[in-house]
Amino acid sequence: MTNLSGPVETVFIVDDDAAICCGLCDLIESAGLKAQSYSSAEEFFKRWNAGMAGCLVLDVRLPGISGMELQAKLMEAGVSLPVIMMTGHGDIPMVRKALKAGAVEFLIKPFPDEELLQSVQQAFALDRSQRQADQLVKSIQARAATLSQRERQVMNLVAAGLTNKEISEKLHLSVVTIKLHRGQVMRKMQAESLADLVRMSERISTS
Amino acid sequence: MLTMEYAVKPGSVAVCFVLVALLWTFPLQHAIAYPFVFLFFAAVMGSAWFGGAIAGFLAIALSTFIITYFFIPPFFSITVAKDSQSFLAAFILCAIAISIVSSARRRSESAVRSARDLLETKVQERTAELLRSNLEIQESTRQLRMLTEAIPQQIWRADASGRVEYCNQHLLEYIGGAAESLRDESFFSILHPEDASQFRQGWEAALAAGGRFEVEARVRGADGGYRWFLVRGIPQRSQDNGIAHWYGIHIDIEDRHSTQQRLLSAHEDLSRFSRTTSLSEMAASIAHELNQPLTALATHAAACRRWLQADPANVSRASAAADMIVQESTRAANVVRRVRSLLSKTDYVREFTDLNSVILDLAQLLRDDAIRRSVSIHLRLAEALPKVEVDPVQIQQVLLNLAINGMEAMAEINGEKVLEIGTQLQGSDEIQASVTDHGPGFSERVKSKMFEPFFTSKPEGTGMGLAICRSIIEAHDGRIWSEQSEQGTMFRFTLKVSK
Repeated sequence: MTNLSGPVETVFIVDDDAAICCGLCDLIESAGLKAQSYSSAEEFFKRWNAGMAGCLVLDVRLPGISGMELQAKLMEAGVSLPVIMMTGHGDIPMVRKALKAGAVEFLIKPFPDEELLQSVQQAFALDRSQRQADQLVKSIQARAATLSQRERQVMNLVAAGLTNKEISEKLHLSVVTIKLHRGQVMRKMQAESLADLVRMSERISTS
Repeated sequence: MLTMEYAVKPGSVAVCFVLVALLWTFPLQHAIAYPFVFLFFAAVMGSAWFGGAIAGFLAIALSTFIITYFFIPPFFSITVAKDSQSFLAAFILCAIAISIVSSARRRSESAVRSARDLLETKVQERTAELLRSNLEIQESTRQLRMLTEAIPQQIWRADASGRVEYCNQHLLEYIGGAAESLRDESFFSILHPEDASQFRQGWEAALAAGGRFEVEARVRGADGGYRWFLVRGIPQRSQDNGIAHWYGIHIDIEDRHSTQQRLLSAHEDLSRFSRTTSLSEMAASIAHELNQPLTALATHAAACRRWLQADPANVSRASAAADMIVQESTRAANVVRRVRSLLSKTDYVREFTDLNSVILDLAQLLRDDAIRRSVSIHLRLAEALPKVEVDPVQIQQVLLNLAINGMEAMAEINGEKVLEIGTQLQGSDEIQASVTDHGPGFSERVKSKMFEPFFTSKPEGTGMGLAICRSIIEAHDGRIWSEQSEQGTMFRFTLKVSK
């Protein structure tokens, strides 16, 4: 699968059993996806970078940092890479904990190939939408950065639902000046409508 | 007396006596015709008596002079008429004799008196001494008594035959009765019935040998409850090396005992727990060991199918995947082999063993456990059993397992709980051992499955005990089975006599 706009999506496999790593890589590659394996959480962290796209396939029991801890650490670092958990010992509390912590799927070894591949596709879609959302916020932020301080004030007040007259009274400026600023804001933010501007303002204020 | 005797000067004594005699003689002289001298004899006697020999002689001299002067003619002259000379001589001789006799009597009398006085003081001193030492003895006895009462243990003293003579307050308070309740047979009645026979054996052996004895036993208190005591008796030997007394002390070891019991039962719980957890852990680790290659195998197989289904089929990747499938199935097979060898991994030991001694050792091992469960163990061992060639540790494990099963089976029954362990010779080449309990027994269904692995009728049983027993006995070319009768359940196994 090719994604021209972003980095190549890869399935990152972390399992201490080399044979399982090898088998999973083989299976994922046979489905035409890219795979990369690590024998421990430490090794994954060593080679991890922010530009990685795709999903993580994690074994719960790993030497050193466990799969659950790895998931928690990624959450802490604000990495939104979707996680698929695997275990050889299916115990329900652990499954619940992992799913609560945001795992896409919890697989109990051995599992059918379709189940893994479906989960991977699901995780990829999630990752993609997350990255797109991230990119959108980033571009809006970049545009907002070009606004002057007064223009930003005007945008916030417009987004808050105030009329030009109300804004002019609040900022002790003439209505004409406000109209000029407002036009400048719409142009710089590449907003197609007032509603569009309000949405953009909300996005950057929440993120 | 003595000092007074010497304090009076002999001279003044003599003068006094003679003057008195003189004064009395003057008036008497007028009434009597011849010279009256008897009072002078008395004066000599008195002087010699009170003043000693010297006073006597002084009195003689003085009297002679006075008589010569006043009473022998010519009067008032110291000359003596010729016809009076014999009279005077007789007087002097008589006076000397009286003086000697009197002073001698006096001496001997005062010697006797002083000896008597000496004796009397000696007697008084002795009496005082005796009184003092009596008080001292009383005081030390009192202190000793106080000491025995102060010791927080129960103490008794018995005569050579073991008859209790004295008990301290602690012992009396504990048993809630008089010392009489410890005499003879009644002593055994305050012991726990299960400990009485052992106690009696120990005590009788100590009495016979005259040595120390020490037994742990439960003693009934005034409230009817039993506490564990360490009863220790020490003989005190008399000078002829016979036993004079027995001194006994009862040390309360109930707390120690109950701690020990709690520890034992905690230990038992722990070992049961670890037995089950280790088994389930082993199962989990076997499952995991097998799961890994199976997972790898499944993924490679799925990948292989996909490589083949692709258009065009990627044969080289498919065959690589097939290689991995072979490799992983070998790994899975190895896991199975390893587990199997682990389970049969027992060192092969065969020793010439006396089965009876194995059982006697076991009975020792079981003693505490049996007491705790109120089970008495009866041994019925055949005499002069031939030896068997076995692994004694494994056979003891089998017996231990059967014995504990038997004791557990009797946990709920009322009345006497007896576990019998016996041996007997069957024919010439087989020994049969049996463990019999009087529990409620089990159903036919249980009986048909009891030796199968993982079959259990107990909530926390592993279901491995009897299965292991059977595999041990079968490894020794023996047989194990169970029989039921009205009296209870009997487990029997056979072992071949070594040739």
